[in-house]
Amino acid sequence: MMRRAILTLATIAWLCFTPLAQAHKASDSYLSLKVEGAKVTGQWDIALRDLDLVLELDRNADSVIDWSEVRSRHAEIAAYAMQNLDLQSRGSACPITIGDQLIDTHSDGAYAVLKLAATCRENVEALTVNYRLLFEADAQHRGLLKLETPGKGSSDSPHVVSAVFPADHGTQSFTLASGSTLAQLGTYIADGVKHIAIGFDHILFLVALLLPAVFTREGRRWVPVVDFRTALWSVLKLVTAFTIAHSITLSLASLDVVRLPSRLVESLIAASVLATALDNIWPFLPRKRWLVAFAFGLIHGFGFASVLADLNLPSSSLVLSLLGFNIGVEIGQLILVAIVVPLAYVSRSSTAYPRFALQTGSVVIAAVSLGWLLERSLNLQLMPF
Amino acid sequence: MKLERQRFGRYGALMVLLCVATFGGVTIAAPYVPTSDSAPLETLATRINDSARGGASNAPAASGPSSRAMRTLLARDPKNLDLAVRIAQVYMARARSESDPRFLGQAQAALTPWWSQSEPPVPVLLLRATIRQSNHDFKNSRLDLEQAVKREPNNAQAWLTLATVQQVTGDIKGAADSCNKLLPLTARLISTTCIAAVDGARGQAAKAFDSINAAMAEPESARGANVGVRTWALTLQAELADRLARPVDADRLYRASLALDSADAYTVAAYSDFLIDVGRAKEVLALIPAATRVDTLLLRRAIAAKISASPDAAQAEADLTQRFAASRARGDRLHLREEARFVLAVKNSPDEAVNLALDNWTVQKEPLDARIALEAAVAARKPKASREVVQWVVSNQLQGDKLGQLVSQARAL
Repeated sequence: MMRRAILTLATIAWLCFTPLAQAHKASDSYLSLKVEGAKVTGQWDIALRDLDLVLELDRNADSVIDWSEVRSRHAEIAAYAMQNLDLQSRGSACPITIGDQLIDTHSDGAYAVLKLAATCRENVEALTVNYRLLFEADAQHRGLLKLETPGKGSSDSPHVVSAVFPADHGTQSFTLASGSTLAQLGTYIADGVKHIAIGFDHILFLVALLLPAVFTREGRRWVPVVDFRTALWSVLKLVTAFTIAHSITLSLASLDVVRLPSRLVESLIAASVLATALDNIWPFLPRKRWLVAFAFGLIHGFGFASVLADLNLPSSSLVLSLLGFNIGVEIGQLILVAIVVPLAYVSRSSTAYPRFALQTGSVVIAAVSLGWLLERSLNLQLMPF
Repeated sequence: MKLERQRFGRYGALMVLLCVATFGGVTIAAPYVPTSDSAPLETLATRINDSARGGASNAPAASGPSSRAMRTLLARDPKNLDLAVRIAQVYMARARSESDPRFLGQAQAALTPWWSQSEPPVPVLLLRATIRQSNHDFKNSRLDLEQAVKREPNNAQAWLTLATVQQVTGDIKGAADSCNKLLPLTARLISTTCIAAVDGARGQAAKAFDSINAAMAEPESARGANVGVRTWALTLQAELADRLARPVDADRLYRASLALDSADAYTVAAYSDFLIDVGRAKEVLALIPAATRVDTLLLRRAIAAKISASPDAAQAEADLTQRFAASRARGDRLHLREEARFVLAVKNSPDEAVNLALDNWTVQKEPLDARIALEAAVAARKPKASREVVQWVVSNQLQGDKLGQLVSQARAL
């Protein structure tokens, strides 16, 4: 017992008995980029201590880095930096060159300042930054980007976007405010469509909502609609109600008027899918389905807002991005409607439809959404998607 | 737009999206080209094995190869668990002895092959838990530690770290249970100090104080305990003496602890708080050099400088403002307690301080956290804000004249 005790005392030393008192902060680099036309210029401030970690600047091991130890290593520093940063515009690389190297001081010590320039093939409308510096040596390192584009008029102040690159999010894309309004709108619309295409929860919600649209409810039974017009009319009401509702909350959340915790939003979205699917099997929601679409649309709008927030939009073009993203979401929904509704209409009278498409489909959707609901509300990892 | 995002990964919360043309308000002087080759630009923290670091150098690899050589070895064989753990332990020791969070990221990098595993080897679990704790990810830290003690119920390190996490987050009962698990596993001084820390946070400071005295007196403690353990025990004893309104004992014990390890940032900070409380702020200016790299210490210096109207008060304030801004710019929320104190005591903005202190209170629940929350609430005259904290202090019977006064003041609001 005695021997083990002493051993423990010796090996236990690295432990924190008391919370760690931290000096300043962990490692950051500061990357400032300015985009003008096809040209990107800027500077990159990297801490000398961090460069020492990967390049051994302190050659004479006196624990002091002096100017000669930095100056004589400029070529290696530049090479190391260039290996760990890529800029891309429209899928093609913008090769980077490093120019002058200077020294500056930040709150936590001396930094090497690397002047850099890059040229893209054409005018930059969206810039993709792939940042990899130091992550292999320091997992808590972060790149702090400040991305500047000139204002549209000569007197306008420049647009600036800030972003943080941690190790698990080293590639980020930025839509620039300097592109033509139309081009920007196009990008936001594409983002909106893409979000519907990869947003399984929204897709399943819409499918659950649309499955019974080719029926009318009579008591507890579903009766096929007589003509396509009736089906279309009910679909139109549903989609319009959903759209108006999610546009309201998307705008409110994006303009920071209303804020909800994401766990709540994501859980409610899952619950809305579950409720809609269950309603197809055992009707319990209001008979006016457009009311249901409207109420749940309010919830889904908050979900869209968090996607929009992840797109690093300059706040100056918030209205444009809201509009574009919303249009994109609409287009995505209409594509889905165009696929689901005709199929449902054609097969509505077959005996298989109510049983397989409506019943079984709704059961599957309910099961998936229940999984999401548990996962999101209890903060678990259950679902593969 | 400031929704916390979960489905899109942790990074979502880090995104600083608003159009702010600053790096957190840090003013950056113009970059320059040094005029002399020999101009010293940066002092690297002393390498742990390059010089005798006195009391602080109790890292397991203090006598081994340099961390640089070890890193080269690991680069060739990154999946070598023993090597990776050894390197990570050296970095953790340095993070502690130099109060430098950069080493935490380096330790994590060494553990990359195991970092994302749900059941990594126990030594990795312990390191991961300690790193997560340092990043205030107490929830996952605790999960790691609970897994570790389940797999190795005799692992004293795991129980001790678990007790620390439980205490920091206000789970006093859980911390007591974990400390008790240490009794058969480790030297008496360690288990006693562990329990004393818990007792000190639930109205039994006197008993806790005496128990450390008894454990210190044992010959085993004198022989077996390393400097880190004894510093920990002495500093806790000093804090307990302070809470028991025995300032002479507190002063003596703080000094005894600093005599063992004058560089222990936790002790220096605690002693400085004590000095400021008893009206000896001037001594803090001698205790903490103006050029300190440690934020928690610079904070004490700034407060002391302000109280004693020292000429370098403005500089300390400017430095700290910059450092907090730099932390915020990277998305860190690790210094809320310190920032709340800074905003209240130096910047004199009680309303802002209340918000910071209450944000901090949701994460950390140590006596210092309770104190700043109450101080800020009293200064801002916000009785509602202080209600939960008052309740906690009362129900846990947290002792100390200052806290007692603050509770009465908060209730009188």
